Amino acid sequence: MDCGLLQAMAEEDEEINVYNEETFGMDLDTHGTTEVPNNGLLQFGELPSPPPPPPPPTPPLDPKPPSRHSSPSPPRQRPQYFPRAPPGQRGRGRGQRGGLGRGQMFEDPAVVRIVQGRPSIKVMHIYSLCEFRQLSSAARLHFDVFLVFKGLDSAIVDCGNAMYQNSFEDDMHSFTVPGSPINLRQPLTPRQHYNQVYTKMDQTCSDALKPIVNVLAKNSVDLLVSVVTNDTGGFMFPMNRPCPSTPQSLTPKMMQLRFGANSPRPSPFYSPSSNSVQHFRKPEGWDPYCNLMTAKEKEWITRLQMIQLQSEHPYLEDYYYQEYYRRIEAKMAEEELGIRGKREPPKLTTPYIMKSDSYTPVVHIEGSLGQVAVSTCYSPRRAISAVNAVQAQCPLEVIVFLRHLASRKCINLPDTDTDTHFHITGTKRHQTTALFIVLLEVEETERMKTTVLSEEEERRLMEKTQKKVEHIYSQLQHHDPLDSGGEFLPFLLVSKGKRLVARLLPFLKHDTALKILRIVTCNLPTLMSRDTEEALPVLYPSLRNVIGGLTFSQLIGLIKDLTFESLTTSESLTLACQNKFGLSLLYALLSQGEKLLSSGVPLEPSIGDFETWTDTIFQVAGQLSQCSLVEPLLLPSNLLTLFCRYLDKRTLHQLKSNME
Amino acid sequence: MLLTLALPCRCVFQLFYSFFKSLVGKDVVVELKNDLRLGYLNIKLTDISVTDPEKYPHMLSVKNCFIRGSVVRYVQLPADEVDTQLLQDAARKEAMQQKQ
Repeated sequence: MDCGLLQAMAEEDEEINVYNEETFGMDLDTHGTTEVPNNGLLQFGELPSPPPPPPPPTPPLDPKPPSRHSSPSPPRQRPQYFPRAPPGQRGRGRGQRGGLGRGQMFEDPAVVRIVQGRPSIKVMHIYSLCEFRQLSSAARLHFDVFLVFKGLDSAIVDCGNAMYQNSFEDDMHSFTVPGSPINLRQPLTPRQHYNQVYTKMDQTCSDALKPIVNVLAKNSVDLLVSVVTNDTGGFMFPMNRPCPSTPQSLTPKMMQLRFGANSPRPSPFYSPSSNSVQHFRKPEGWDPYCNLMTAKEKEWITRLQMIQLQSEHPYLEDYYYQEYYRRIEAKMAEEELGIRGKREPPKLTTPYIMKSDSYTPVVHIEGSLGQVAVSTCYSPRRAISAVNAVQAQCPLEVIVFLRHLASRKCINLPDTDTDTHFHITGTKRHQTTALFIVLLEVEETERMKTTVLSEEEERRLMEKTQKKVEHIYSQLQHHDPLDSGGEFLPFLLVSKGKRLVARLLPFLKHDTALKILRIVTCNLPTLMSRDTEEALPVLYPSLRNVIGGLTFSQLIGLIKDLTFESLTTSESLTLACQNKFGLSLLYALLSQGEKLLSSGVPLEPSIGDFETWTDTIFQVAGQLSQCSLVEPLLLPSNLLTLFCRYLDKRTLHQLKSNME
Repeated sequence: MLLTLALPCRCVFQLFYSFFKSLVGKDVVVELKNDLRLGYLNIKLTDISVTDPEKYPHMLSVKNCFIRGSVVRYVQLPADEVDTQLLQDAARKEAMQQKQ
């Protein structure tokens, strides 16, 4: 080459260097010193190994580019455009990058950082063209250039084609139609090739690609990138390089546009997530919006929102949450200690509300204008309001209307007097709500006892609790002349009252609790028949504890009430056998008797207690063996032992099969 | 729903927030009035997924969203995570506090 040409080339090199420094500022490392990158703008690490053997020839493709939707081509990438930093900030990027350290979660997601990324296909194309110089004529690469362009933007493809044609035609490099082998006639020096490439690029390609071509062409001799094409035509990332989509620590020399903190760029070959809800989402390889928020960011938002819920009185203002987690922790502590395993947890079933089979959404009453909308399950609020409205006054017209609805099976009415029933029910519910608030205070006071240290304070709390309990008990005991039942019964007929009594029983003394138990056993048929919401089982755990503290005499008294007064007829006994609560209560009483008899403790029975006991066994066993039994809430383990002692084998066998 | 709503009277919503706090991290399904059902996260609705993606493919790319309360039809809660008795007690307590 002559000197003039060399000089021109040197000047051109200087211009290129200046341009690169201004554009990318990549000459500065973390120490702020200038460093001439040997590897160029896109640093691909060390020099890779020699190229792999040429791939087998691929069949020529149609000239028409295939549809992008037909094959799993990787997501198209825009031409990598590296923004020019303002003069004052040039070269600050890397040095400053380490300083962005006030927690990544508070980082401005709009800040663009440069990390290593996938080289553009256009770059790969240039590399491959330059490297053809290195290959011997024998090592012809059957390179389907068209496949390289596949998936690129049209701008890049056009530029590539234009450059492709202009640069190599002038050099008399014959590049045939895309898809055919490439023949190299007269190899050019890298500098000559660069000149032609740059010249033609200047004419045809967009400004965005020029910087890429400039730097790469300048350093093209030192680089070798293996381009591997797969059968579908898409290109695969070189095997010796990790996928840039995988989260990796940022280094100053890693360059790829990223938004947010460590947001990985998806790759078509990214392994799918093992998320359990994956079947509701596209594979993450095709979801460019996944992983926008990291776990830390989500935590941050949650923390911000929790700040709004801060209060000085968490137990008052955040009662549900505090109490909920206290119960969970208590359960976990019990499980750890193994306490739960020792106890026999009562098998309770959740009550359900009976649903009517059919309903008429619109009711027409004779003589009325228009039609009346009926409250249904779709509008529960109106149903509740209707009950509350009735409880205040119960005019005859409303009663007639309600009876009409009942006749059409729109609502369920008990078989008592409608007017008094609704009045009583509504009143009792109202009273029960007020009593519940007192009960909550009692429970809270009971909980506070564990935190109290001094005896005087504990005694004071106990007195306070006792007063409130007595108040609730007296309210429940209060006998209203309008009530059809006796004491406690009106409250026991409503589900809310049952729950109230169930939670009150642990706070009552044994005598008062026994009184309530007696009322339940005496009125068992009534309670079972009017338990439409099946709320009776909530009473079982508390009543079972009361039964567990009975003496033999007290037990016999209850059994007499149960079998000789309430369940006197076979029909009522059958009804008890087919009601979960009734059957469970019967089992509990028999189990307690067996426990007392087999314990060896002196029973101190009254006259006739043992005869009553024996008669009860025979009567109950006979009934249980004949009728069908429902599954009880809890089946005591000593019940069969009890029956074995009194019954013959045939009856016992039949009873056993029934109970199981 | 985001908890960043400005509350005119915080005491009214104390139970609301206290209850939904216990559901953080649990799966809920929000059914909107346009029959769109979103699920698999708490009411803040981050990392959502559509229960019927074939019917609403445009929602597949949505990961986080804010839902205006007036468009919510139902919020389906997991039964195991809700203590109804405690909820009733909390409602009674809140009613008592409001009276005071």
